[in-house]
Amino acid sequence: MSTTRALVILLVSLSFTCVIPVVFTGYNEVCSSEAGSEQSTEFRNKVDTSKLSGIEYLIADMYNNDRVLYAVVVTLVMATLGTGMAFLTDLVLKALGLEVSRISHKE
Amino acid sequence: MFDIRLPIAGIEFNVLLLILIGFCVGVLGGFFGVGGGWIVTPALNIFGFHMAYAIGTDLSNIFGQSIGATKKHHKMGNIDWKLGSISIVASIVGLELGSQLIIELEKAGDVGSIVRWCYLFLMFGLSTLMFYDYFRMNPKKIGRKQDSSNNSSGAEQGPTRSKLAQSLHKINLPPMISFPTSGIQSVSLWAVLLVFALTGFLSGFLGVGGGFIRMPALVYLIGVPTSIAIGTDLMSVLASGAYGCFTYAMKGRVEIFAAFFMLIGSSIGAQIGATAVKYIKGYGIRLLFAIMIAFAGCSIALEQVYKITSVPFYQSAAGLVLMGTAVCLTLIVIVKLVVEFKREKKIRA
Repeated sequence: MSTTRALVILLVSLSFTCVIPVVFTGYNEVCSSEAGSEQSTEFRNKVDTSKLSGIEYLIADMYNNDRVLYAVVVTLVMATLGTGMAFLTDLVLKALGLEVSRISHKE
Repeated sequence: MFDIRLPIAGIEFNVLLLILIGFCVGVLGGFFGVGGGWIVTPALNIFGFHMAYAIGTDLSNIFGQSIGATKKHHKMGNIDWKLGSISIVASIVGLELGSQLIIELEKAGDVGSIVRWCYLFLMFGLSTLMFYDYFRMNPKKIGRKQDSSNNSSGAEQGPTRSKLAQSLHKINLPPMISFPTSGIQSVSLWAVLLVFALTGFLSGFLGVGGGFIRMPALVYLIGVPTSIAIGTDLMSVLASGAYGCFTYAMKGRVEIFAAFFMLIGSSIGAQIGATAVKYIKGYGIRLLFAIMIAFAGCSIALEQVYKITSVPFYQSAAGLVLMGTAVCLTLIVIVKLVVEFKREKKIRA
């Protein structure tokens, strides 16, 4: 890769893509003095489930009452979703011709 | 419009932003063999996550995304399982020592500033080393050298290793061990353990996963080819991610809904990033890695300026530089993948 080209692309797109957070959240939110940890919600060890329903209620209730089960569910969900999404993406990439096999390790 | 309620963290968050952050960190994670926690944690924090949830949610995402990426690197023969297993064991010892030092320093006073200065020094030091190495050992120069060498003697050239790695390989302290997958015939086990203990110590001291420290250490200190360093590092990232995901969830620090949406983006990104390793040569990857950590260093420098001056602009600028770097490096990796793929297709046709 041409070094100069990589640096130019990086700098140009850096200036351009800084706009993305602004588009999503509005300039004032991102760049105001309240941005960052000051604006964050406090860490709450319990969730108020009174206004929740369905899956949100189930998860929040589990979070409040059985932290071990919550940890097991989080780990299993992450493992299953990670594997499943990777499998699906792999299928799409294969269909596009981007199949990978053992490669030679050239520097 | 795309806001969703995150009941555990108690906030509303833009789902597209979660997927975008996940996608970027996935591409970079799969491509560089890092977890990307140093991008996600500050990014989530900037957009309103409490730091405690940001770290735990990020670790859960790292765990999920690295499963697919590790599998893909294994398929490409990029994982040295023996070296990876040693790295996990030695890193744990180093990590414990690093975190103990932090606890001792915390008793003495404000440790945050010391950690940030060390972080800065490490980031800029690593990027300088990698830039220097790239321009010194430019692949074109190597090609010319190899051509002239082959013309004169006809001998085949061995893999190009850094001087540091060559010195480490000369240490003759038994037991000696070989890593055939990485092309290492013989190296002292003590030297390898020391390298990983050191990288573990740094990650414990700085409070990071350590992928961005381990990957260059594998390349420059142990002499592993870049793509194998990436795959082997991802194996360690997967192990630490699994542990981190479970323990942080136990402590109630994981926002499962946010992690879920981030993982949709990151597992797609990780597959694309891992595939790109096939199409980009080791030196190209190292150059992009050097650029990435140089910008990350700039972001930490801005954060440090904010701590000193208390001018909020610097904190926002730090976050924007970090996010901007992640987004544009992702674009570079994808564009490079598409260009190289098209070129290969043309050659085949």
